[in-house]
Amino acid sequence: MNLRGSFRLMRRNLARRPARTVLTVAGVAAAIALFVLVESLAAGLDRAVSGSESARTLVVYQKNRYCPQTSFLSQSEAVRIAKIDGVESVLPVKVFLSNCRTSLDTVAFHGVPADLLFDARRIDLIAGDRATFLQRGDAALVGEAFAQRRGLDVGDAFRFNRIEVQVAGIFRSPEPIEENLIVTHLELLQRSGAVNKLGTVTEFEVKISDPARGRAIAAEIDALLATSAAATDTRAKAAFLESATADLREILRFGRLFGICCVAAVLALVANTVAMAVRERIGELAVMRTLGWRDGRLMRLLLAESCALALLGGALGTAAAWITITTTRLTLGVEGVLVGFALSPRLVATAGAVALLAGLLAAALPAWKATRAPIPAALRGA
Amino acid sequence: MAFVELSGVTKSFHKGATTITPLDDVSLTIEQGEFFVLLGPSGSGKTTLLHLLAGIDPPDRGQVVVGGKDIATLRAGPLADWRAEHVGYVFQQHHLVPVLTAWENVELPLFLFPLSTAERTKRVGFALRAVGLDDRADHYPRQLSGGQEQRVAIARAIVADPPLLLADEPTGNLDHDSAQSVLDLLARLHHERGKTIVMVTHDPNAAARGTRMVHLDKGRLHEEARR
Repeated sequence: MNLRGSFRLMRRNLARRPARTVLTVAGVAAAIALFVLVESLAAGLDRAVSGSESARTLVVYQKNRYCPQTSFLSQSEAVRIAKIDGVESVLPVKVFLSNCRTSLDTVAFHGVPADLLFDARRIDLIAGDRATFLQRGDAALVGEAFAQRRGLDVGDAFRFNRIEVQVAGIFRSPEPIEENLIVTHLELLQRSGAVNKLGTVTEFEVKISDPARGRAIAAEIDALLATSAAATDTRAKAAFLESATADLREILRFGRLFGICCVAAVLALVANTVAMAVRERIGELAVMRTLGWRDGRLMRLLLAESCALALLGGALGTAAAWITITTTRLTLGVEGVLVGFALSPRLVATAGAVALLAGLLAAALPAWKATRAPIPAALRGA
Repeated sequence: MAFVELSGVTKSFHKGATTITPLDDVSLTIEQGEFFVLLGPSGSGKTTLLHLLAGIDPPDRGQVVVGGKDIATLRAGPLADWRAEHVGYVFQQHHLVPVLTAWENVELPLFLFPLSTAERTKRVGFALRAVGLDDRADHYPRQLSGGQEQRVAIARAIVADPPLLLADEPTGNLDHDSAQSVLDLLARLHHERGKTIVMVTHDPNAAARGTRMVHLDKGRLHEEARR
């Protein structure tokens, strides 16, 4: 059939019951928006723990402590750790989090010795300059994602609780997790608490030359510090991130199940709508079959109507999710690991495919039944 | 050779444990260009016979040959194509698509043919003029009277210029004036365009317009008149 004719018929049929069409599209949009949000958070989590450096980085943390606010290690131990064979560099890090538990808008400061920062971390300044950061004790380098989220630019001041920093630069990092951080001078953070904690850090980031020796070196560090003021638990950064985000993954698994249930509900919703629409038009379809329309052609028309509804809902849902993600710029923080929503073109395509599949599946049975019903019987019901 | 030929056609329906046989070993021939009228009481099988001729219901036994083709042997797809090309069907209730205008309803069968927009426009305009409704082209069925709706349905039936026109009680739901107008139109299509028309009716006045009348009762055909 001529495409223009099919499109006209499809458009008119969808406009036949505007309220029903709008409600169905809204239902699909809500489900797809939820699907996209859950999947983009899962993608953000994967991205956060996917850094290329995580395999050759060990994180030394105080034993049996989960919140960064409760881990206190002596800064001087960095010298002892650096002497272990296979260790390339040691970066003492003081972590300050706005919220140690799971939160949707976390602010995370990393205080580090400024002279060690650029050797220990791969930081690419896209605005501002290194010299200003090194000169000013209250200067900070802000990750690009955080700067975008908070609308920060070089020269701005940013204050959180007792900590106030001046933005000296904005950076990108090959480690996605770092792009949500504010990196500042170690001493600034050590002095920022209610109790002065000069000389203590939250963790050490240890770069090793051979990732295969990671476990052995971690054991060596823990053994070395076993008799110090605070016993340590050293793990590969990848394992540390996996452990920190384990609960979030569990929640996401439930979220995904919830998302699948929503898609199934949408399937039922569209199926019900299509079934009702087809039932109403069974006589009309029989008339068209009498005029010479092939069953397959009518079936394609009904499937196209259902897919149009589902795709329109899918597009609106994806747009709603995108607007939510970009306008709120939410970042989920869990035990110091910051996870952003990552909405990729691939995820958009997946959402479209899910909507399309739901539309096809929902219409398949009613369309098949309607076009296989004996014409005389269908005409009698018209 | 006859244009329509039914040989030993039987059609039964099952209603619970009861079997109803509206057509029992029926044989019939209709010549090309005839205005054939099938009379009979309600439930006598007139519509069933029309369904068989249109190929929308297969016979249990026997042959239905239209234009030299045994349509009972065609599969669903080719049968639909055959119907689009050879049969125009007018229902008792017009059965127009409510969301399409008169023009779009008439255009509907033409989408099944590889025609240009200009050719479709020409044919739809011609069909609507033939039924005297070219000034109602943009009206939706709800904006038309019963008689006008039926005339649009006739325009839809003739727009693809099929050689066989089947009309199932086309005046059954119309007032006297509208009925006369529809019957005049069918008679004109028969006279001026030489269409073979098979019309089912139980109205003797409508039947009088035909060139041949056959009565169907208890599954059997009885020739009543030939002009």
